[in-house]
Formats: sequence, structure tokens, C-alpha cells
Amino acid sequence: MLTTALTLFLLFGLATTALAGPLDTPGYAKAVTCSACHGANGNSRSESMPILAGMNVAYFKKAIEDYAAGRRPSPEMEPFAKQVKLLGVDEIATFFAAQKREPSPGKPDRAAIERGRAASTACAACHGPEGQGDAPKLVPAIAGQPAGYIRNQLLLFKADKRSPGDPALTQLKSVLRSIPDETLADVAAYYSSLK
Amino acid sequence: MGGLTRREFLKSSSGAVVATAGLAGCASSTGELEAKRGRRVVVVGGGWGGATAAKYVRIADPTIEVVLLEPNRRFVSCPFSNLVLSGVRNIESLSFGYSGLRDRGVKVRHEMATAIEPDTKRVRVGEGYLTYDRLVVSPGVDFQLEQVEGLAAAGDKVLHAWKAGPQTVELANQLKAMPDGGVFVLTVPPIAYRCPPGPYERICQVAWYLKTNKPKSKLIVLDANQNIVSKTALFRAAWQAYPNIDYRASSKVVKVDPGTREVTPELGDRVKYDVINLIPPQRAGAIAVQADLVGADKRWCEVDHVTYESVKHKGIHVIGDSTTGLPVPKSGTIANAMGKISADAIVALLNGQPAPSVPPLNTCYSWVSDREAIAVVNAYKIENGKVVQVEQKLTPGQSTLCAQYAEGWAQSIWADVLS
Repeated sequence: MLTTALTLFLLFGLATTALAGPLDTPGYAKAVTCSACHGANGNSRSESMPILAGMNVAYFKKAIEDYAAGRRPSPEMEPFAKQVKLLGVDEIATFFAAQKREPSPGKPDRAAIERGRAASTACAACHGPEGQGDAPKLVPAIAGQPAGYIRNQLLLFKADKRSPGDPALTQLKSVLRSIPDETLADVAAYYSSLK
Repeated sequence: MGGLTRREFLKSSSGAVVATAGLAGCASSTGELEAKRGRRVVVVGGGWGGATAAKYVRIADPTIEVVLLEPNRRFVSCPFSNLVLSGVRNIESLSFGYSGLRDRGVKVRHEMATAIEPDTKRVRVGEGYLTYDRLVVSPGVDFQLEQVEGLAAAGDKVLHAWKAGPQTVELANQLKAMPDGGVFVLTVPPIAYRCPPGPYERICQVAWYLKTNKPKSKLIVLDANQNIVSKTALFRAAWQAYPNIDYRASSKVVKVDPGTREVTPELGDRVKYDVINLIPPQRAGAIAVQADLVGADKRWCEVDHVTYESVKHKGIHVIGDSTTGLPVPKSGTIANAMGKISADAIVALLNGQPAPSVPPLNTCYSWVSDREAIAVVNAYKIENGKVVQVEQKLTPGQSTLCAQYAEGWAQSIWADVLS
């Protein structure tokens, strides 16, 4: 009986001194406001906001730098990127990278996915056959991102509104200009459908 | 001890307390309404701030019991409710239940908190009470009906539709029933009020509806403020498409008479209306006033910028539209952010740790037609314990792309608040 009481006391003592919850995870508290748009733990469930869960740390940091500097023009993300930098981008990037990515729940349009698959060969050269990206080259994993988000990014690249004038993207943009918008939407549906 | 998990038992302060709590567990409408077995957070108000706070306390520490008091069984979103007036959306698409919070272990009670007793750490609910370790007060706004002569007596004859729900639907019906050639009068209260761009978005939606369906009708706006309060240039540009708007600045309404269908501004002539939407002056929700959480202005609650603890009463955190002193708008996004940040602060404090220092953020989308939207975005930092704005940015113009983001924001944040 005494042993039981002692065990309970010890367990109880431990339980109150260590939180051992999400707040102990570096970055959790700093990233908590992002879920308003980017979903629980960065798993966006909407068509237009990208999934941050599982995003490569270096790519996340590049995206924040690009938004803050206006290279990715966005009235929403430019101020928030500056806020993230002030809060500590490393911690926030590491937090999202450690979260399990749950692919976008968007309704699959089988015909669009098939058309997109056929049109996606040019993309695979950089983004990989499964859309898994190429982390060392800062090429993002696009598999499972919301179709609306991917389509919007393709349209921004096509119009040279994302990273305007960036020589590394000149070829990509000239390829995109030769592809009709509807086909880009199909390609987006295809990559979104990959898990 | 039936019903207690091992973890809850370990979390309670001693075996003896657990035994007592077990005996007091029988449901009763007097005394302690829920047997208190461990640490408890009570949340007053299940809107954007309160529902978020309740959920995020459970996420950050599931050993803390959370009781949410919210009289309404359905959460109806104020953001997007202006689209119900134009018929672009229906109210059901903005209405949600609280089952998502229950799934997270939040004890949702559809009852009204009637009083707060900071000394005994109790919230009064009818004849009974709930004891708390920390309290979150998120009561939204209440209307200062006494500021406009005739308004209190007018009852349902003069609608605010500023808390989404039955009044929103009724105002939409009145707009639909108004004869072509009729006059719709909308009045904007003096700052501070819930949702600074809200009245101007509503003006767009009513004007769009009238232009599309009743082209001979007119929308007269009586604004208590000297100019459009938020996104001024963007709304001015949007209104170019609506010549049916007659906007009158510095026209504070002081009297309404539903008998003669007239409103009276402080300066200028009486205005006749067919349909009136009078958005009254506002203050913090009644319970914040009753509990002496409001400042000298008797309207709004001052709080710590890191923990949202009231500057007047320890252990009580106030969030959302009823707060003042932070350079933030009274918006849904801000209330949601405050809900999460205060939840983390409360969990840290209840576990003997310092509260994390995290600033809120804001986005406000406004629909300027049936398909285009504009937005304002605010970023913040915390400097010397105070929230300071880093930057405010507006969309360059109105667009369907912005409307896509507005839809995405709504979907995401409704889930963030409630599921």
C-alpha cells in the first residue's frame, strides 16, 4: 500500500513538473497562428493555401525570404514573412518540416489527372517522376499540394509575376508560356493527386 | 472513482480530493455544475476567440479540463455573412455545430454565464457555478442601444444584423421584399466597433444586389465617422461600380422612428427609409462589464499583450472583440489568433512555465461584388511586452484571385476554430 502511494506520488510529481506536450516542441507556439490559413500543423485543407507540413527546411526559408523581399509578390505573405523572420524562421521551418504531410483532400477529377499526367513529362526533369522535388537544389515537393495552389503558382510563373526576371527560371517560364492555362490546371490536378 | 482515467487521477492534487469530487459528481443545477477533478479552464463564449481557446488548451495539454459556456447551439460566422444579404451565400453555409470541440474533449454547455466571481474563481451559471483555475472571457460585443433614441423600443423593427444569425436572414428578406425604387438606409457606428471593414463590405453587397435586381433603388449610408474606416481607397474604387450609393460621412445617427420610417443624423435632415439597417455603437459583451473587466471608458477590456490576462483581475484572460489597447482590428482572424496564443499562455502558466511571447496576425477579406474581393493584412511583433505593428499591406486592387484566397481563408479558419 505504501509502495503504491509512493509510486503515485512519484508519478504525480513528474506529471506536474514536465509538460511533455506540444508546447515543449520547438516552434509549436511560434507557428500556432499560421493554422488560420495553413491548417492544423501546416496541413492545409483548402484549395488555395499550400501545405507546409513536411516542407523542406531550406525551401521553407527560401520561400519566406522571397515573400519578405517581394520576389514572390503576395499582399498576405509579405507582411507575414517579415513576422516569421522576426519570430525566428529556423524554428518555424523546423517545426513544419517535422510534421507529417497529409495530401490535399480535394476531389479528384480522373480525366483531368490523366490529361495532366500526359502533360507533366517536362516537369519531372526537375520535380521528379513522383513530384517529390529535389531538396538540395531547392526544388519543392509538389505531390499532394492543393491543385488550386499549384495552378495559381504555375499561372504566376507563366506571367513572370513570381520571381520576376530570375535567370534560373527563364527556361521554366518559357516552357509554361507554350502551355495553355487549362493544361496547367490539369498538371496541377495530377500533382495534387500524387500522395 | 468510476469515470476517472488514471491520468486524470494522477493529475489531481490528491486521492482525497478525487474521492470528494467523485461524490459531488451527481448532476445538479445548484452548486458545482461539473465535478472538478483536476485543473480546469472555463471559457465564456464560443465564438471565434472562445471556441479556438477551448480547442487549443486541449491540444496543448489534454490533462486540463475545459468547459465552454455558449448559449447558442450553432456557430454562425459573421465573416461572409454579408454575402447572405446579396443572396450569394445562404446562412446554412456559414453555420456549424460544436461536435468538433466535443470530440476534442471540450465540455460544451449551451448555457449563459451570468456572473463572474474572481475572488472565489467561480463563474455563475443559473443557480449553480463552475470553479476554474483560469478563465477565458470571449464575449464579443454588445450594443449600446441607449445611444440612439428610439432604438431600444424599436425591438425587431430595426435590425443590426451585426451578429450573424436570424437578423441576417430577416434583413436579407426585407431587402428582397423592398419595392424597386425603394430606399435602403445603412448606418455605420463610430469606431471602435466589430469588424472595421464590415459595414463597407455590406454596402458593396447591398449595392450589388440593388444594381442587379432593383436598379431604381438607392442605398443611403449614414457614417458616424469622417471617412471610410478601413481599406478606404479600395472601397472608394469598388463603389465606382455602384452609382446607387449615396455615402454621407460625419452623419452620426441619434434617433430612429420605425413608425414614420425615419432616421435622424446629429447634423442634417431626417432621412426616410423603406428598409433600415442600423448598426449600433458597441462595447464589450455584457458579462465583461458586469465582471468589472472594462476600463474607465466602460466599453472595452485592457489585457496583457502576451498572456491576454486582464489588467484588472488575475486569472481571467480576455480575448477577441472585447479587448482594447493592442494595435489590432476587432476581426475574426485576430480573435482566432488570440484564442491560440492565450491557450498556450494558460497551459504554460498552469504548468509553472513562462508564457511564450507570440504576436497575433491579421487578414481581413472583404467581398466587393459577387465574385471579387479585397484584403488588408497586418503583421506584428512583441517589443518590451507590447504588441507592435510591423507592417500593414493592402491588395493592389480587387480581384477574383483575392476572392479565391478569401474562400480558402474561410474554410481553413472555420476548421481551425471548430474542428
